[in-house]
Amino acid sequence: MKSKKMSPQQKNEFMWGWIFILPTLIGLVILNIIPIFQTIYQSFFKTGDFGRGNKFVGLDNYMKVFADEEVWQSLINTFKYAIVEVPVSICIALVLAALLNRKMKGRTIYRTIIFLPMVTAPAAIAMVWRWVLNSKFGLINNIFGVDVQWLSDPKIAVYTLALIGVWSIIGYNMILFLAGLQEIPADYYEAATIDGATGMKSFFYITIPLLSPSIFFVCITRIISALQVFDLIFMVMDKTNPALSKTQSLVYLFYDYSFAQKNLGYGATIVVVLLILTLIITAIQMYAQKKWVFYN
Amino acid sequence: MKFKKIFCGVLAASMIMGLMGCGSEEATINTSSTPEEVTLSINIWDTYQQPGLQQILDDFTAKTGIKTELSVITWTEYWTILEAGAQGGQLPDVFWMHSNESQRYMENDMLLDITDKIAESTIIDPENYPEDIWGLYTSSDKYYAVPKDIDTIALWYNKTMFDEAGLEYPNADWTWDDMTEAARKLTKPDGSQYGVAIRNDGGQMGYYNMIYSNGGYVISEDKKKSGYDDPKSIEAMQILETWINEGLMPSLSIMAETNVEVLMQSAQIAMTIQGSWMLSSYEESEYALANIDIAELPMSKSTGERVSMFNGLGWAASASGDHTEEAWQLLEYLGSKEAQEKQAELGVTMSAYNGTSDKWATSSSFNLQAYINMMDNMIINPYSRNTFIWDSENNEILKQAYLGEKSMEEVCKEMAAQQNKVLADE
Repeated sequence: MKSKKMSPQQKNEFMWGWIFILPTLIGLVILNIIPIFQTIYQSFFKTGDFGRGNKFVGLDNYMKVFADEEVWQSLINTFKYAIVEVPVSICIALVLAALLNRKMKGRTIYRTIIFLPMVTAPAAIAMVWRWVLNSKFGLINNIFGVDVQWLSDPKIAVYTLALIGVWSIIGYNMILFLAGLQEIPADYYEAATIDGATGMKSFFYITIPLLSPSIFFVCITRIISALQVFDLIFMVMDKTNPALSKTQSLVYLFYDYSFAQKNLGYGATIVVVLLILTLIITAIQMYAQKKWVFYN
Repeated sequence: MKFKKIFCGVLAASMIMGLMGCGSEEATINTSSTPEEVTLSINIWDTYQQPGLQQILDDFTAKTGIKTELSVITWTEYWTILEAGAQGGQLPDVFWMHSNESQRYMENDMLLDITDKIAESTIIDPENYPEDIWGLYTSSDKYYAVPKDIDTIALWYNKTMFDEAGLEYPNADWTWDDMTEAARKLTKPDGSQYGVAIRNDGGQMGYYNMIYSNGGYVISEDKKKSGYDDPKSIEAMQILETWINEGLMPSLSIMAETNVEVLMQSAQIAMTIQGSWMLSSYEESEYALANIDIAELPMSKSTGERVSMFNGLGWAASASGDHTEEAWQLLEYLGSKEAQEKQAELGVTMSAYNGTSDKWATSSSFNLQAYINMMDNMIINPYSRNTFIWDSENNEILKQAYLGEKSMEEVCKEMAAQQNKVLADE
């Protein structure tokens, strides 16, 4: 803007602009921004019963968190989960999206089936998988005649959980990729076919580069939610499960401290640490995307 | 495509923030209503007791016109929701209280003080209920809950399996060693049948009874010291170690994935130790009715004593509720001889009201007399202000003994050390 005074029309637009974003803004401030600062504030306190009688302890909670083996173990668990869940779910969803973007019979039915896990309640998903993977009475062990403790062997339980995570998220990723695919003009493919490119080649040289903004978006949101995994672990893993300490995520630990042990200050500290970690990882991704994401 | 980039960023940011915002969502909203049609919200955690209690609540509604709404929430979530409710001033009108948590709730005035009301009441006389249970729900000489029930522990065994192995059924002369011996004979090497099953979190329904019968203890009387490092406690816990190491119990994985009572009812195990509140679960199983029965717990060989842990829930009301007067009416009714007798008769649980338990003993075809006999020598289930914290941490440590990573003695000492630390902070 060159002149300092706004024209009446600009004023009008300015006012309406604010009015339109106001509901979202209020929601964000009340539901997200204020609680963030409350949580950060709380992490400096030893909290009393029912949120009364809080005692300021400075950085004590942070010292304890960094010295707490359980926290480090949970961090490792969380990363293990994310490292399996994010790439696998993206790869499978990408292939599925490419396949289901073609004209074929029963396309909508396949799309619906693959999207179904997304609309199922997480609790129901967890219950069904618990039953399927039960080592004594479960479907998988009985059909294949194996004796694998999918959910209670500390060495594999976290990967089993990640695969359940993959299964439940594929549909969502696929829909996002499908939307991205439909933006790619068909001309590119036609030109490529004339030049003699195979289906594989056009997938790697046309589809993936042109889809990279969508891939980037899915990647960034999936990593954030994988780092926040909670409900799946909470529903699938029982308290007595011997693999619990090798599968619990940071958010699970936060829940355990805040709500089961009622140590709200310590729980708050754990999520603040997670918040900082997530911010760092996201910042790195935002920086790295310049190298591989292609905006036409 | 600039827009997409910005959109990405904003969405990412809001997702991170979403994490921080969770926490204060779990409170039910009570809609206030006109005095004539008050509906009291009631929370409990045991599905098996729901049908019986519903009948008693219906009686209450028929009598007073006050409606009730009973919701069942699982044990773990129950306390989370109650905590959030207490903090936000949205507790249910009437709910169960447990010794693990009662202290904190009483000290912070979350529960309705019913001392004066009990003094005025012609229906509730503290004399009629066990003193130890009042003790759980009394703080600074004030009453905060009406005793609901009393529970003891006994041994469940599979008659068919005992017959097959040619063994005599467990009887009142059994010692823990006899039980071990029988378990050895009842365990099949192919893993299709185990002698006994007790989980790492099966304190009250398991090793606590072994510890106390052996003269050991879990928490000192002044609630300042753990008893896990007491030689007698360790000796008792080593019986459990024998069961684990000799493979007389299913692996912890199996027990974690499938509850002990389900293993029992699906003919996977021959014996287990269960609380009297588990009765309803067995009543629902046809297999159990045909093949399973109950005996007294074994006694310790060295002391010759047989001990059952006991506990009792309390009916408490919210101090900040909109209908405290009606809530008290309900508490009074639930504590009355009439309702307590009905609870026993329906086989919901044993009732706290003295002398009503005999009615419970005849409510089922199982040998419930064993539970009544266990009342001869009862010790209140160990508790302190922060029971949950040291208890769940102990369960976590004990897993190491189940997985064979450490000896029971080492594990016991580790549990004692951490428990003492928690108790020192109380």
